Amino acid sequence: MGALMAIIYGGLALMPIFVGGTDHLMHILIMILIWGVVASCWDLIMGFAGIFSFGQVAFFVIGAYASAIVANKFGIPPIFAIFVAGGITAAIGVLVGLPCLRLKGAYVALVTFAVHMILEPFLKGPMGRAIGTGGSRGILTIQPIEIFGFAFTPDHKVAVFYLTLVLAILCSIIILMVIRSFWGTAFLALKDSEDFSASLGVSAFKYKLAVFALTSFLTGMVGGFYGHYVGMLSTRMLGIDLFVTLMIMLVIGGIGHFPGAILGAIVTVTLNEMLSPLGSYRPLILGGLVVVLVLFLPDGVIGLVRRFFNGKSKIQEADA
Amino acid sequence: MLQAINLTKKFGELVAVDDLSFTVEKGQIFGIAGPNGAGKSTVYNLITGFFPFEGKLLFNGEDISGKKPHRIAQMGIARTFQVPHTFPSLTVEQALSVGSRFGDNTGFDPEYVDHLLDFLDFQEERYNLTGNLDLIGKKKLMIGAALATRPKLLMLDEPMAGSNAHEIQDLMEFIRRINDEMGVTIIIIEHFMKVLTELTETLLIIESGSKIASGDPDIVTSNKHVVECYLGDAYASDN
Repeated sequence: MGALMAIIYGGLALMPIFVGGTDHLMHILIMILIWGVVASCWDLIMGFAGIFSFGQVAFFVIGAYASAIVANKFGIPPIFAIFVAGGITAAIGVLVGLPCLRLKGAYVALVTFAVHMILEPFLKGPMGRAIGTGGSRGILTIQPIEIFGFAFTPDHKVAVFYLTLVLAILCSIIILMVIRSFWGTAFLALKDSEDFSASLGVSAFKYKLAVFALTSFLTGMVGGFYGHYVGMLSTRMLGIDLFVTLMIMLVIGGIGHFPGAILGAIVTVTLNEMLSPLGSYRPLILGGLVVVLVLFLPDGVIGLVRRFFNGKSKIQEADA
Repeated sequence: MLQAINLTKKFGELVAVDDLSFTVEKGQIFGIAGPNGAGKSTVYNLITGFFPFEGKLLFNGEDISGKKPHRIAQMGIARTFQVPHTFPSLTVEQALSVGSRFGDNTGFDPEYVDHLLDFLDFQEERYNLTGNLDLIGKKKLMIGAALATRPKLLMLDEPMAGSNAHEIQDLMEFIRRINDEMGVTIIIIEHFMKVLTELTETLLIIESGSKIASGDPDIVTSNKHVVECYLGDAYASDN
């Protein structure tokens, strides 16, 4: 797991050497890193803990708005604001997680997706405007992250890329450590059989809330980072496009096969860009691709990679 | 060790457990038998905190009524399930570690997990996923994971179901060893009367959630009422 992650991020780190001069490509690379973390968090809660949370995009948007508002209203430097945003998102994540403890499977998906559905009218409505979301106009000016006087604006794409890379690696290491620790074992045990786990002393309450808190913290923080990078926010991200794209990343990467989600982000974003000349046929082709992948590569790209390196027999061992 | 006082559990109109009282002494193997739907597994679910109920449960004098399942496991009551539960995503070693890590109050003990792998004759399966075990393997894994919590009381729910005569002998020997070598008190739900008469010191027969007989298994199984309502004529003529 760790070696593959190092190869992926190592490869990405070299990319600016080749495409550093092309702003458009650098932006794509930055977005790959950001979506890689968001998809990994989704994988942690859904693929490992078995909780069908569909609130991932909502948490990302909550984090983005929270960080922008905290920075704009209270003058907190953006570099700290993103952590505050992570904390706020984690608190909301736990609140959403509480009712989900009593639910199973598809019902968890309904409750969490409801949060997604409520979010847009909330941000656009009078309550949202009162806390500074800018209503349907959105937030038009968000200050960039500044470290030692250097502003990471969209004009300095390579610098922003490396800062994003540091953040993505930090998040991925946290996720990897959690998966490898007894926390990860508890998540898998709860996913496989909640009753059996409980009879062995595992507290579903504690570990399920913990996974909600952790994944929404990281997602919210990355969302905040995204807001400070692009400099403006609207509720457009809450449309179905981003949600579906993230899900495609997970499927392509392989659900429950970290760091597959990062590979999924690379493949999906790249494909999405390459297919853009096809206009409205793009979603059609992506959709068809997902069907083919689910049928022939149920473990996603990561399954293919592992088969290539380890031979088929070791795949299960690597997953364990 | 375990004292059940006037246990009652209603599911709507259905009274699954009806004013049931019994006492399990430390160190014994205690059997529970009864026809299908008599409420045997429900009694387990009450003791291990899966359902709320009326009445009182004392474990070593401490009231455990209303405690959550994972708390009860940590207090020293472990159980298996009638339908084998495993962790398909985890290896045999990891599955046992779950019990040791989360259920054992003295903390995670890899040496004890290793000892259990020997005890279960599972060293070869150590790195295999539990989902790939056969039926007997899955049952042994469930018992092993339960033992990894270092229980004072182990509750087995029809461990012999689906096993052939040879496997039943093995499992009985295995249960005796858990009782003798590890000093674990055992409650066992079973349909095979021969297993219960050979294994247990006290036998409780329930029907429709209430006690119809309890005591020495030889005396209980010759009780006329028990023979009539549960064991049937075939058993009566056997003896």
